[in-house]
Amino acid sequence: MSQSTGSEVGGRERLPLRRPVHGRRIGGVCLGLAAHLDVPVRLVRAVMLLLTVVGGVGAALYVFWWVTVPSGDPAQVAEDLRPAAMARLAPRLRDDTRQVPVTDIGIGMLLVLVAATLVAVRQGVQIQWSWVLPTLLLLGGIALAWSQLDAGQRELWRSRAGGRTPVSVLRLAGGLTLVGAGVLLLIGQDEPPGVLVRSAVAAVAVLAGAALALAPWWLRLVSELGDERAARARESERADIAAHLHDSVLQTLALIRARSDQPDEVARMARAQERELREWLYSDRAPAGTSLATALRAVVAEVEDGRMPGQTGAVAIDVVVVGDRVPDDDTRALLQATREALVNAVVHGRPPVSLYLEVSPGTPGTVEVFVRDRGDGFDLADVPQDRFGVRESIIGRVTRRGGTASVRSDPERGTEVHLTVPVDGSGALVDDPPASPRAATEVT
Amino acid sequence: MNEPAAGRPGPVDVVLVDDHLMFRTGVRASLDDRVRVVGEAASVEEAIAAVRHYRPSVVLLDVHLPGGDGGGGAEVIRACADVLCDSKFLALSVSDAAEDVVAVIRAGARGYVTKAISGPDLVDAVLRVAGGDAVFSPRLAGFVLDAFGVVGGDVAIADDELDRLSAREREVMRLIARGYSYREVASELFISIKTVETHVSAVLRKLQLSSRHELTRWAAARRLL
Repeated sequence: MSQSTGSEVGGRERLPLRRPVHGRRIGGVCLGLAAHLDVPVRLVRAVMLLLTVVGGVGAALYVFWWVTVPSGDPAQVAEDLRPAAMARLAPRLRDDTRQVPVTDIGIGMLLVLVAATLVAVRQGVQIQWSWVLPTLLLLGGIALAWSQLDAGQRELWRSRAGGRTPVSVLRLAGGLTLVGAGVLLLIGQDEPPGVLVRSAVAAVAVLAGAALALAPWWLRLVSELGDERAARARESERADIAAHLHDSVLQTLALIRARSDQPDEVARMARAQERELREWLYSDRAPAGTSLATALRAVVAEVEDGRMPGQTGAVAIDVVVVGDRVPDDDTRALLQATREALVNAVVHGRPPVSLYLEVSPGTPGTVEVFVRDRGDGFDLADVPQDRFGVRESIIGRVTRRGGTASVRSDPERGTEVHLTVPVDGSGALVDDPPASPRAATEVT
Repeated sequence: MNEPAAGRPGPVDVVLVDDHLMFRTGVRASLDDRVRVVGEAASVEEAIAAVRHYRPSVVLLDVHLPGGDGGGGAEVIRACADVLCDSKFLALSVSDAAEDVVAVIRAGARGYVTKAISGPDLVDAVLRVAGGDAVFSPRLAGFVLDAFGVVGGDVAIADDELDRLSAREREVMRLIARGYSYREVASELFISIKTVETHVSAVLRKLQLSSRHELTRWAAARRLL
């Protein structure tokens, strides 16, 4: 939306570095980097491959990030970092990602490698098995032990499939055994078995002692961290939802029950509640004063909730906004004119009422508003001079800001008010008096 | 809007997918005899099974559905990708959030309407989708304009460009976003309704196929509306 929005509200923040679970090829490092740096993932992968070919730097970096960068959806994490009061509550739809069978390809390549080695041995190539085997053991053990850092997803799979196995324990024990065996074989290639066994026992004893001493401290750290995080998240979430959602819904329901004999009133309240719930469930909210779209919504809410003289029944206004910008004096004047046009449409026109606002970026850009209803309409030339509403509060407001206003009416297609205001770099401006709440009553 | 149905005798078969029984009942009651509900489903799995079993002309699909891998309506459409030529999907949602809309449309839905739609309008939309046309609500048209960055004047020169809208398509989208019906768009631009439908279908195709970098990012990083 970089092109469509004149000024991104609040500026786009960089996504945090995480390894996405969906769409990853190996460990999700490149995907996470791409999201973090906002560059195509193919580019990152190409650079990684290139770096791997050049001295294996890429592979080392990859493994380093694989181990150190936590797994997770960057967008989701960024979402979680936002205060709960600002984010939408409904869950987001999961994206589709087709997986390439990387595991199968990896196994295939491994088998090819083994076959090539066997062929080489057949051809008479000498391989130092006393080095190769322990090294392989060592690498396998390390991979097994570290892999639990990335095991969250697999655990999830297993627990969904049925019984939970203590996979992480198995993995740790297996890894330790393999690493131990590998190190022993590597270091003590020429030592007698007795010495090997004795030094191994001594090493294990020292490790066990250290682990025993450090374990309580480590355990406490882990549990405190988890508890605190969970409690904080739960509390803020609960407070927000309770305050803004349940209270308002309950109040509206009580009001609706009390006034069930007034259909107009009930429809109006239901509409207001629907709007509020929709906003809470499905949209992210911008901080006050930073978004023209949000300001417009507030205006629409005011008109929908308001009870205008001559208005019959509740009305719903269809709002479509394209682009957004930070509100300024020009757009405030435009919004006030829009409000008057909406009131006019609601009172004199026929539903459905459509409102369309478009922000064209650039300097100077423009903001355009179309307000349309399906009523019989009116001709601007026929509007008497004393009808202050249309002339002053709609047309006057906009033209004083260097904008244009036109009304198109036709019995077939209803009435459409078109307002345009230039923004950013539109010279000196006459101060616009703030709209009095009574302005609406002057449209008669 | 009877011409799409003109070619097919009898009512259009529809499968109704929504996890709320109340809503399904309401929709059933609001449909007239041009449409016949042959099946209902309340979750992703049920929906996939129902679509495969009944092979309806149109599936009325809620965007937010329980079950499956959490992909909601978009997941149903992807799972039924092989029957898309028989069954067209019309997304129906209480949410008009950009990311939800764009997710189902990109998965392959032929249109998007909100649940506030009236009965006759819904039937019209179903018939239109059954006839192979696209159904754009004003909101969806607004999303398209926003996502393709057309407001900034970034307009396609050639018709086959996937990443940008042509000037005409942009005009049509703007009018739909302003609340014009296809018929009103046609008379406003002095073109036939068929031409409007062609433009709208072309935009739908671009929305589904465009690999435009900003489009996907836009849907994911959308913070407003």
